[in-house]
Amino acid sequence: MFVLPPPPRYPVSQPTSSPNGVPVQNPLVEMSNVLTHPSGSEYQLSVGEGTYFLQDNLHLATPPPHPQDAPVTNPNPLATTPAPPKAGIKLSMCITSPRKSIPSLYRQAAPSTGSNLGTYSIKEHEKESRSSHDTSSDGATAQFASSSTSGRTPIFGEDNSALTPIAGKEGVKRKKPKTSLVKSNSQFISRVIPHDQLSKRLQEHNAEGIFVFANIDRAYQWLDLSSPAPARAQPLMKILFAKAHMLCHDINAFTKGPSHIDVIMGASTGDIVWFEAYSQKYVRVNKNNIISPSAISSIRWLPGSENLFLASHMDGTLIVYDKERDDAAFVPETHSTPPNTHIPNGNGTTTDTDPHPLHINKSVNSKNQKSNPVASWKISNHRILAFAFSPDNRNLAVVSEDGSLRLINYLKEQLTDLYTSYYGAFTCVTFSPDGKYVLTGGQDDLVSIWSIVERRIVARCPGHYSWVTAVAFDPWRCDNRNYRFGSVGEDRRLLLWDFNVGMLRRPKAASIRNRDRASISSCAPISRNRTESTQVPVGRLRSTSSLSEGPVGEDELIEHEVESRTVTATLPPVMSKVIDEHPLSWVGFEEECIVTACGEGHVRVWRRPVDVVGAGDG
Amino acid sequence: MASFFNRMRSSAGPSSQSSGLSPAKKDPNALQITPLEKFLLDAPPGPLREDGSDKFWGLENFGNTCYCNSILQCLYYSVPFREQVINYPKRTPLEAVTTTSTGQSRIDPNATILPPNHPSLTPARLVKQQPQGPSSARTAGGPTTTPKPEDKEHPEYKKRVAQARGPTISMTHDNTAAYGMPESLFTSLKDIFEALLAHKSNVGVVSPNKFLEVLKRENEMFRSAMHQDAHEFLNLLLNEVVANVEAHSKTLVDEEEERQKGMNCSVDKTEFEQALASAMPKVAPGNTGWVHELFEGTLTSETKCLTCENVSQRDEAFLDLSVDLDEHSSVTACLRKFSEEEMLCERNKFHCDRCGGLQEAEKRMKVKRLPKILALHLKRFKYTEDLQRLQKLFHRVVYPYHLRLFNTTDDAEDPDRLYELYAVVVHIGGGPYHGHYISIIKTQDRGWLLFDDEMVEPVDKSYVQNFFGDRPGLACAYVLFYQETILEAVKREQDAESLAAAAKAAAEVSKEPVGLGLKTNGFMNGIHHVKSVVTPATPTTEETNGYTSLDKVVTETSPLVEPPPQSPNEVTALPQIPASEMPTEDVKSKKERAKEEKERRAIARISARQEEKAEKERRKNLENKRKEMSKKADEDTRAAIEASKASKVEEDHRVAFENGTREAPKEGHSGPLGGLSRLKSTSKSFRKPRIFSREAGREEPVADADEDVASPTGQENAERPERSRHRFSGLRKRGSNMKLL
Repeated sequence: MFVLPPPPRYPVSQPTSSPNGVPVQNPLVEMSNVLTHPSGSEYQLSVGEGTYFLQDNLHLATPPPHPQDAPVTNPNPLATTPAPPKAGIKLSMCITSPRKSIPSLYRQAAPSTGSNLGTYSIKEHEKESRSSHDTSSDGATAQFASSSTSGRTPIFGEDNSALTPIAGKEGVKRKKPKTSLVKSNSQFISRVIPHDQLSKRLQEHNAEGIFVFANIDRAYQWLDLSSPAPARAQPLMKILFAKAHMLCHDINAFTKGPSHIDVIMGASTGDIVWFEAYSQKYVRVNKNNIISPSAISSIRWLPGSENLFLASHMDGTLIVYDKERDDAAFVPETHSTPPNTHIPNGNGTTTDTDPHPLHINKSVNSKNQKSNPVASWKISNHRILAFAFSPDNRNLAVVSEDGSLRLINYLKEQLTDLYTSYYGAFTCVTFSPDGKYVLTGGQDDLVSIWSIVERRIVARCPGHYSWVTAVAFDPWRCDNRNYRFGSVGEDRRLLLWDFNVGMLRRPKAASIRNRDRASISSCAPISRNRTESTQVPVGRLRSTSSLSEGPVGEDELIEHEVESRTVTATLPPVMSKVIDEHPLSWVGFEEECIVTACGEGHVRVWRRPVDVVGAGDG
Repeated sequence: MASFFNRMRSSAGPSSQSSGLSPAKKDPNALQITPLEKFLLDAPPGPLREDGSDKFWGLENFGNTCYCNSILQCLYYSVPFREQVINYPKRTPLEAVTTTSTGQSRIDPNATILPPNHPSLTPARLVKQQPQGPSSARTAGGPTTTPKPEDKEHPEYKKRVAQARGPTISMTHDNTAAYGMPESLFTSLKDIFEALLAHKSNVGVVSPNKFLEVLKRENEMFRSAMHQDAHEFLNLLLNEVVANVEAHSKTLVDEEEERQKGMNCSVDKTEFEQALASAMPKVAPGNTGWVHELFEGTLTSETKCLTCENVSQRDEAFLDLSVDLDEHSSVTACLRKFSEEEMLCERNKFHCDRCGGLQEAEKRMKVKRLPKILALHLKRFKYTEDLQRLQKLFHRVVYPYHLRLFNTTDDAEDPDRLYELYAVVVHIGGGPYHGHYISIIKTQDRGWLLFDDEMVEPVDKSYVQNFFGDRPGLACAYVLFYQETILEAVKREQDAESLAAAAKAAAEVSKEPVGLGLKTNGFMNGIHHVKSVVTPATPTTEETNGYTSLDKVVTETSPLVEPPPQSPNEVTALPQIPASEMPTEDVKSKKERAKEEKERRAIARISARQEEKAEKERRKNLENKRKEMSKKADEDTRAAIEASKASKVEEDHRVAFENGTREAPKEGHSGPLGGLSRLKSTSKSFRKPRIFSREAGREEPVADADEDVASPTGQENAERPERSRHRFSGLRKRGSNMKLL
């Protein structure tokens, strides 16, 4: 959740305007991270499978403001000037070991714990491609190798010949960015602080240990959670940016390896940084906002792609970039309806009756692929707050401030489903490991479960006492019938939930169980009507460019109604606990731990119950 | 000081106007134009409206009367409330408002904004009002205690500017004769509303002298110059209005009987009045329950005796809900907690009728009937035993822009009713005994505005959520006003917002080359100034000159953009852009907005089915239309330009005509809308089912709150015994055997 949009331009007024003596601190004086190990019952989570203990409480240092960018502290609470942008800490975690490198989403495909009846073709394919990549010593063509080995999952943009050659002609080695961070004299980067013994620490790094990348304020830290205790608190590298605050980042699960981690970051200023951790080099994308001036709320590598990543800009645009491509000033290509915003006098504007279309500013099938962006889609003018890729690499779930959840088949560039929150904005979204369900959290204090297959809401999960800020599945505790997920919120709580397919298939029964008494029976007919009506396509997706002859049925846009809570199943949490003093901003699951982060810089690692770890380690 | 301002004025040049949105910039001439005026100028409001929705006036602070100002503003922008106040007992003729009984002109409705170098803008005048109690609270968050008076960002400065610029209306008179009512809080409230409506200026400052005089005369506790509780005032005011109106209607009924006339009570209607009446929703003079209808909901308290398991229910009416706060919670959670089960034991036992004695019991309060306007009072002032006094809670409590209630009874009608946030009263200050109140209010078509006594300033939508309580500056939301809405309306509004943003951006681009003098750098400067509101752009005749270029773009496509007639949800109307001109967004979104207003006023639970069907049909039609249109988009472009010239002339004529006759229907500025009439009628029918619930709300009042069944305000009473007298008189009305469903 972002408190305020970043100002497109920073006030020119200089530190003189901090009269009340917030001293402009010397950036050289910097607090360092603090690692503590609090214990006691308030640092334990008791769930059915056992007790989680707080292993590490790592407090990341908030950097002082940049000297040239000292925020004007305004004592007037009514000041209408925008506050500097602030986003809670988000983490990107990875384990570089090839054996363990399987991202959690796919991990479930072959869970070591047994009970894997239905493995999905997609995942087998993923494993294949991954092993091929491991053996072929990081062939840069792995992406396309995988696309050729896979008959089932098409790769984004594979039909476009304009996209293929650039990626294909590169050498054997993974490409690294060009500019050295340390030597850079860019105004964009304020300081880079590598650890004194960076190389030593990297050498000693346990390949199975977890690397964590974290944004806090204008700093970006690279941490090793497997280092021995005193050093663990100290980042391997800390980057301080001048003006930009990194709001989101992602590790390329496809390219990561023992000597290579591709990180992509999106900033409050709209800038994007591709950063390779081992070489400490970087490249800037969307430099000087040449493509979009809008802040980036979420950014992710396209699954299975070495070069492509998707960024959601706060003006409601989704843009696919290629880290290898140069930027060029972007004018929406007019082969489809432009979104009315970019070109004041754009011609070819057609009328459109659909208020929620997916405007394709540039299709991935465009022949003009000399420069970024690779594709650009405008979904609305409302701020996109998060998005997630489905494990089958076909769908994209996007949530926005207007309380909409959009499912987009990004391979076909089509909007297929539009759901609305019970009320308020959606703030976070994630796919289940098997891709059957989507979870959202929002300002209605609810986690909502949506079925992709049945195309409807499955359950609402009340339990938070404030807005939900992050949701994540625990793939180590999911099989194809039972799902475990966790959510954190502004109420400082971590909630764990178990849901079960059988139960969810019977929402009415569930609702009777959860709602009380007779009123339900009178509502039942309504429920049926509603479910029917959701199946009726309300509006067809406007045909889009080359895909205009797209088939009916599956690709048809369905605008779903909001279901009354009297007919929707509810799910209670299995665990709910206040785990921090500050509103939480992130939660993630690893094989051995749950990791949470709060807005004020506390990263907490919760060790899983010991007896279960044995199974996981095997 | 004087020299400072003199210097300022002397350096006034054309460029000075650019300081409107960013007065902090080096340009010292912020006095020239306030952000609000700038904002209004950017999108001229068109002809004056009869419903007062285009009036953005500040209220003068007479020393700690901000509690009153903030609530009055909220009520003024509670559209149905304002309408009812104005229309009860009947619409007052304009002359009655503007002239005294002796024929003297009371206010000059034509008073214009003072030119910048008007003598009244003397420095002395500007400094006149020394920052009072509030200012200490405002600055308490930071070390700077005495901001320099010329600090243009300082609210006190802005207020003085607003006051100095005027026009000002001093409400020292009363108009009770015209209403046929004795002087009361209601009449003085109505006076204020009427005066605003009658005045030609969109901005200004009202001095609610009379209102405060009546308030203080009739209510001892508000007599002192002390800081007062805004929520208490709201409650008092609503109850007073109810009482005044009911008293009046009683006398009216008596008279009516004598007259024995089935016709309207006003026999001597002028033509003008009739025109007005036709434009306004009619209110039968006997309809006195409108305050109940708007603000009142019903709570059911279920008490289960733990001895005999007997469940007893009791309904009580409420005008607002007071919820306890938890640290780091949401309004939703607070409401849930409000309805949590509560044990009645020990000293607080329940008198069970069946067992015939005091027993332990479980009690929970749920909402049985949802109000149209949900006023939520966040109990930030809590009595602490240790300190023996009230203390302010700075808990972070988040509030969403939309809300549904989870704590409804199973038999509640429309338990999923959607509410939208439209007004927030913010308390600034460290404690309950001092501080300042301001309000942030969503206006019908101008987005969110900040009302701080005399000052009114446009703010960005996201500004509304700055008052969760955890930010420095001691400012916390205190009363939240949510109003009933429907999802379709919300979606429409969101689309409109989108389009407005787009249109704004486009308008900026298209305006730029023209080089209008009023172009400011504010837009470049921060997105918070880019208003997410629809900008009604129909020019008024006076303003045409300055905006020729804008006029052209605005009107040129209007003949092509036909709103789909007969469609209650206009979704389709929206991207029906035949030609390439961006500013067409203005027209469309405005129409949309107009419709939406209509719709929202008519807020209704339409059968979803029907809507869907209608929508489908409409879509089909429009789909066809769209295809045709896209085919000849190019010709259209050309045609549009031609047409625009013609239509502009037309438009101008129309506007002139409307201005001249003042008979324009409310929505007249938005152009002819085929669908309007239909909407209106539906809205009426939507209202119908609510009437009986109002009746329910007016059941026999029970004398006092029972001790055994702690009312939701029970704790409250305990907390503030000295103040509980006026509070929740609305709660005393209860009916035990209500059947609402």
